[in-house]
Amino acid sequence: MTVVRLTLREAANRKVLLVGGVISAAFLALFWLGFTVGFDQAATNPDDASEQAAAATIMTVLGLYAVQFLAAFMAVLLASSAVAPEIDSGRLHAILARPLSRTSWLAQRAGTFAGLAALYIVAMSLAVLGIASAVAGYGAIAPGRAVVLLALEVVVLVALGTALSVRLSAIAAGVVVIALYGAAWIAGIMELAGNVLDNESLERIGVAVSLLIPSDALWRGASYYLQSPAFVAVTSVEDGIPFAGNAAPSAPLVAWAVAYAAGWWLLANRWFRRRDL
Amino acid sequence: MTVTEEPVAPSRAGTAPISATGLRKAYRDRTVLDGVDLHVGPGQVVGLLGPNGAGKTTAVKALLGMVHLDAGTATVLGRPVGDTAARRALGYLPEQFQYPGWLDGRQVLEVHARLIGLPAAERPGAVTDALRLVGLAGRGDDRVAGYSKGMQQRLGLATAVLGRPALVILDEPTSALDPIGRREVRDLIHALQGRGTAVLLNSHLLGEVEQVCDHVVILDRGRVVHSGSLAELAAGAEVRVTLDRIDADAVAVLQGFGRIAAQDTDTALVALDDVSAVPALAAALVSRGHGIRALVPLQRSLEDVFVDLVGTTGEGEGR
Repeated sequence: MTVVRLTLREAANRKVLLVGGVISAAFLALFWLGFTVGFDQAATNPDDASEQAAAATIMTVLGLYAVQFLAAFMAVLLASSAVAPEIDSGRLHAILARPLSRTSWLAQRAGTFAGLAALYIVAMSLAVLGIASAVAGYGAIAPGRAVVLLALEVVVLVALGTALSVRLSAIAAGVVVIALYGAAWIAGIMELAGNVLDNESLERIGVAVSLLIPSDALWRGASYYLQSPAFVAVTSVEDGIPFAGNAAPSAPLVAWAVAYAAGWWLLANRWFRRRDL
Repeated sequence: MTVTEEPVAPSRAGTAPISATGLRKAYRDRTVLDGVDLHVGPGQVVGLLGPNGAGKTTAVKALLGMVHLDAGTATVLGRPVGDTAARRALGYLPEQFQYPGWLDGRQVLEVHARLIGLPAAERPGAVTDALRLVGLAGRGDDRVAGYSKGMQQRLGLATAVLGRPALVILDEPTSALDPIGRREVRDLIHALQGRGTAVLLNSHLLGEVEQVCDHVVILDRGRVVHSGSLAELAAGAEVRVTLDRIDADAVAVLQGFGRIAAQDTDTALVALDDVSAVPALAAALVSRGHGIRALVPLQRSLEDVFVDLVGTTGEGEGR
């Protein structure tokens, strides 16, 4: 646990927690303001319940979209500097000369980053859902499942970023993970467009990229569970929220994401154990 | 820097702190270690010398399991390289050192005290002891970010001696220190030796090694070019012989022991084939009736020996 403690202290002292906390508080205040104003406007017509449900759902899902975006970048930035800078600076050599295995060090370090990113996204998601519930009485389809999927998304990114940081410099690892994250985002849009346009080729490309990096697929799965039942009941695929899912995630997707994170972790450990320091 | 005489951390009795044979390491087509043998006995201070790029740091990292060897066997404190348990009684100062700037000196040492498994009750005392030992007693509560390079190196030395290890490996321990700091490190090594700690000192500073080591291993381009005591190394391979008269018979006797490098009527400078043959040379001269006025084995400086052995710098030939 010594490395976990040290890593947490590092995050605290590098202002990651402070800056993250301040930005998040500002974001939540903004979300509360926007949500209140938007919902009040929709509520001016008390007879149109579907319009209110649509307004609350769209604002909540887009708010959480921003949250997962922030959390994803936090995960990438933390993980991509997990290993290489420690070796290059010489900080790691003094630590690993102690009775501490490389696997234990890596597990504690990457585990702390994954835990921080997951804790962040869970706390922020609950805060956003709490605001929506307090202002509009908003209830999502399955908030618990959504939060688990979002946490899995950041764990996937931390695993990938950590593995790459064993082989690449922090900047290179960060660039690669962000590029893959962006590719997944575009693939998600292509899959949605393929769905709307009934174009199987577009959908297949989207699925293929989701296999390469399932971050966006996990978000879309989570975003389905974040919508209100009333909104989903009356909304067709074509009228859905951009960037959000219109179906519950498949079990194979979730299993693939878990295997993907585990696979990158195993690869990170293998690379790290074999690497000359 | 002062050290009290207290027992070091327990190690297996009679086990060599370092025993390495035939260490070999190559990066692509470049051989960095080429059959290196290295032994450090209990309580012994061994200097690992060599020009930049000779493979010294790679050898040290290999012993710590940080560099994977292509061939060779090595044990550290009686356990195979890479065995984490052996590192409980081992202190290490890396050549390239940096400590988390957001911690203070005391906190850095507390992290290391936890990692070596010191009981909580013993940690504060061990940390204070280590800080005092390296001359950082008054700066332990300052953040490392505010430390000079020399202070960071002292902190590194403090982590290396924390918990009274049985073996301390110091990789260029005075690179960032001023002359006073260097002298203090020499005193520290003497003190470690005094309390029975084995030390492997990796350095390219001959004076440093000369003053603290009782055994040296000289590496050049990944090979051991000399391994032995300093006395052996510095002992004259030349002897100055002053006789009543250097005649043809005396020359014949002297040439039986080596090459005559210089000669006048009564004195000759002989480069011996065998350094230990001085008594035999004396006996041979006496038995042939030559009066010996002086027979002086010439001391050579470590620098002379080093330059002879290593020749030109090995920079770029190894790592």
